[in-house]
Amino acid sequence: MKFIVGEDIVLMSSEEKAEVLEKHGLNKPVFEQYLNYIGSILKGDLGYSYRSQKPVTDIVSERLPWTLLLSITNIILSTIIGVAMGTWAAWNRGKKIDIVLNNIFVFFRSMPSFWIGMIFIAVFGARLGWFPIFGAQSVWAGYMGFEKIVDIAMHLIMPTITLVILSVSSIYLTMRYSMIDVLGEDYILMAKMKGLSDKKVRYTHAMRNALIPVVTIVMLNMGYMVGGATIIETVFSYPGMGRLLFEAVTNRDYPVIQGCFFMITICVIAANIIADFIYPLLDPRVV
Amino acid sequence: MALLEVRNLTTYYETKIGYNEALQGLSFDLEAGGILGLIGESGCGKSTAGFSMMNMIEYPGKIMDGEVILDGKDLIKMDRNELRKVLWKDIAMIPQSAMNALNPAYKVGKQILEAIKLHFPEMSQEEAVAKVEHLLNLVGIDAKWYHGYPHKLSGGMKQRIIIAMALSCDPKVIISDEATTGLDVLIEAQILALLKKIALDRGLGLIIISHDLNMVTAICNRIGIMYAGMLVELTTTENVLRNPKHPYTRALFSSQIDSKDFDKKVTSVDGVVPKLVNPEDKCRFYDRCNRKFEMCERKCPSLISISDNHRVACYLEGDNHE
Ligand SMILES: Nc1ncnc2c1ncn2[C@@H]1O[C@H](COP(=O)(O)OP(=O)(O)OP(=O)(O)O)[C@@H](O)[C@H]1O
Ligand code: SF4
Ligand SMILES: [Mg+2]
Repeated sequence: MKFIVGEDIVLMSSEEKAEVLEKHGLNKPVFEQYLNYIGSILKGDLGYSYRSQKPVTDIVSERLPWTLLLSITNIILSTIIGVAMGTWAAWNRGKKIDIVLNNIFVFFRSMPSFWIGMIFIAVFGARLGWFPIFGAQSVWAGYMGFEKIVDIAMHLIMPTITLVILSVSSIYLTMRYSMIDVLGEDYILMAKMKGLSDKKVRYTHAMRNALIPVVTIVMLNMGYMVGGATIIETVFSYPGMGRLLFEAVTNRDYPVIQGCFFMITICVIAANIIADFIYPLLDPRVV
Repeated sequence: MALLEVRNLTTYYETKIGYNEALQGLSFDLEAGGILGLIGESGCGKSTAGFSMMNMIEYPGKIMDGEVILDGKDLIKMDRNELRKVLWKDIAMIPQSAMNALNPAYKVGKQILEAIKLHFPEMSQEEAVAKVEHLLNLVGIDAKWYHGYPHKLSGGMKQRIIIAMALSCDPKVIISDEATTGLDVLIEAQILALLKKIALDRGLGLIIISHDLNMVTAICNRIGIMYAGMLVELTTTENVLRNPKHPYTRALFSSQIDSKDFDKKVTSVDGVVPKLVNPEDKCRFYDRCNRKFEMCERKCPSLISISDNHRVACYLEGDNHE
């Protein structure tokens, strides 16, 4: 028991102990606990936080939108930047621009995320004061309407940039590699021989085929991106699931931890389902 | 004036140890309605010649010299934008890897349509689609395949689609690089008959790159024999069969081995093809030639006229003795 709820339990009297165990169903056999857990998930009940006693469903759904906002913005931006730069580099393979881009992205890839975040906070937040360094919005300011959107966007910028720096490299590298591969295909030479413009060749004939592995990478990285968000959300005190998970782990708040993992799993599964819809659009061989 | 004049076309590939002189000084004329066969063993530079004529050589290849004059305009001097207007509209090519020349992501009809719409922007959508369907029928493919994706087609069907594609913009010259290799005999005969008919009817110039001696002698009115990046003999089909001059041509055509198989005939000529990277300046056929003499080792012979319509690169013929 000690391992589950921590030191506090040692200080409890045996009645208190029994009460707590009863309340959370921890006195039942493990298998029954598991069935109960599955059963309540189906009813949309993820249990109660050990710490705040609030329903986990409420806690998680309060945080989820922020993580989604952060992750989706990140995925969109990383994909656009990675794909555009990867295509550009592949088209100019071996030339100066390709080498410069490669070095930039490999550099991005090798930087630790929390460190980038801290540098950003120190420079653009604290020193220059351009961006807020804490939270997802200025709750106390009571902004409404458009001002509120701007406020949220301002809070979003630094964590997003940090996350993009983290996730863009793998997309860039995948796109570049896949594009180089496709550009060597016979149908690309054919497209050029037909007299199509470079732009047409690149965007209609090459891009579509080159994107297929990128979709796979983005979707596979979805879990990783949410994981990356844990650190970033913590550094920027962003009230998303990542930070919630961090807090829950610190507090050994197991139902909340489970709730977080459950939601992350749902997100990853959803991402895979979306990918399954995108594949056939890109590649007619996948039906 | 000839429809297509190729002059001293020379293409090298960059390698770590120097240039691979894959195509050296190719020159010939092609008349409207003329069908020229280019034959030679694997690696002798046939495909390189084809792509060079389209000015479509890509890194590590480089066209070092030469002219390809079509309608009085030199394709080699054109920049990419000028070239784009001429490619496919005036000169089209069926590449050797025709099976892989279709983009897997688009319907085959669309891919033919794309070329037509590009080069005939004034044509209406219905007209263009009708033209594609007509072309498909021409190469023996049901028009319903317009909406098919390449992965649903057999290799032979893809090849025929590419042939249809080559015909799509009514070019003046078509280069066919082993276009019918691998098709079954009946289809091959049909396609070749079709190409020949179109060549004669429309005054199209046809260049047929092939391994198949029988096919080339049956369909072409002139034949160029290539060896190690160079044209060694260029003459009428008649002359090639009755009066071959170059020792290599002789070996190929008067060979005792009565086989259709080109490769068997080639190996009946002893010796190996010289390396093309930094080759020595001697006749490239020297090592395999059974009539070589001292002169052949000093300098590579060039293709000279020995009579009307008959050109040979060998010191035994004509006034090639300097
Ligand atoms: N992309 C390339 N890069 C480097 N070398 C090449 C390239 N393409 C061809 N070569 C070289 O150029 C020479 C001629 O090749 P080419 O493909 O033109 O021969 P070919 O006559 O078409 O042969 P095949 O009958 O096998 O098709 C060969 O030595 C080959 O190694
Ligand atoms: S030039 Fe000499 S080596 Fe070359 S083909 Fe003629 S005889 Fe043979
Ligand atoms: Mg070839």
